[in-house]
Amino acid sequence: MKRSTIIFIVLILAAVGLWYGIKEFNRKNADLANVTAKVTIDAPSLTAAFEKDSSAANKTYLGKIIAVTGTVKSIEKGDGATIVLGNAGSMSSVRCSMDTTHLAEVASVKEGQAVKIKGSCTGYNPDEMGLGADVILNRCVLDKQ
Amino acid sequence: MMKKNLLTLLCFLTLALFTHAQDRFFTKSGKIEFFSKAPLEDISAKNKTAQVVLDAKSGALQFSVLMKGFEFDKALMQEHFNDDYVESDKFPKADFKGTITNNSEINYTKKGAYTVKVKGKLTLHGITKDVETTGTIKVDEDGLKTASTFNIKLSDYKISIPSIVKDKVSNNVKIVVDCKLDPLK
Repeated sequence: MKRSTIIFIVLILAAVGLWYGIKEFNRKNADLANVTAKVTIDAPSLTAAFEKDSSAANKTYLGKIIAVTGTVKSIEKGDGATIVLGNAGSMSSVRCSMDTTHLAEVASVKEGQAVKIKGSCTGYNPDEMGLGADVILNRCVLDKQ
Repeated sequence: MMKKNLLTLLCFLTLALFTHAQDRFFTKSGKIEFFSKAPLEDISAKNKTAQVVLDAKSGALQFSVLMKGFEFDKALMQEHFNDDYVESDKFPKADFKGTITNNSEINYTKKGAYTVKVKGKLTLHGITKDVETTGTIKVDEDGLKTASTFNIKLSDYKISIPSIVKDKVSNNVKIVVDCKLDPLK
């Protein structure tokens, strides 16, 4: 192989490496509307799993993209929006902190409606402060079946 | 006569409910941010799902923050934060349990801004340390606005910085708390 060819190949590899490095460095969190959920579970079963054994549930769900089905208990709006899923009489809920780039879709959601929401499970707050137990999902989007 | 009695009773009940409601304040969507200045790059992340309870009577204050709830601008940074720094699979939560030491100076029923002194224990990465800071509480008609800024050292919580970036990542982290608390009904 000619010396110039080798230099050319090395340069190409370096450029690809640099391009990949910069791309990886600047990578944003994925928009979950374009991500497939690993698991689909209903809200009461998800909170029950954490109540029963939180460390086992952490292993299964923590940091995973999951889809949760359930009834909308309430919708909290502030800077962003949180949709609270669960049975009306229960102290346990799944709190879905909605992705701020998808807030327009939240406007149509009503209390009592059955929805499917996709989000990244960030953990569980047991009922230590008398506020009820919550499983928290982040970067949530409404999942259109 | 009966009507008047009922009315009085109703008034007392409402008053009781009202005063009871102002005993405790809470939020489940508190904002906690952290900043770290570094030669390589400034690092910052925001958590919008902090759970906070404040007991106005005793001044007891409690925070619970899920580590995986910190959002970074860059996904790679968020992954490193979770995997290499705070090890959020092993230690999913940070919490603070403390008290407002000058709680008697705060009138939770009167509009205004108060400077508060807070003392307590912060548990992060499985390590518990004493923390002392000052902050503000603004009392208004629909609740409290609480704010505080304080610094922690990563080394205090045995959060190690990988040696290849040791000179580029700061050991000092600034934590900014900004939570709107609602009366607990």
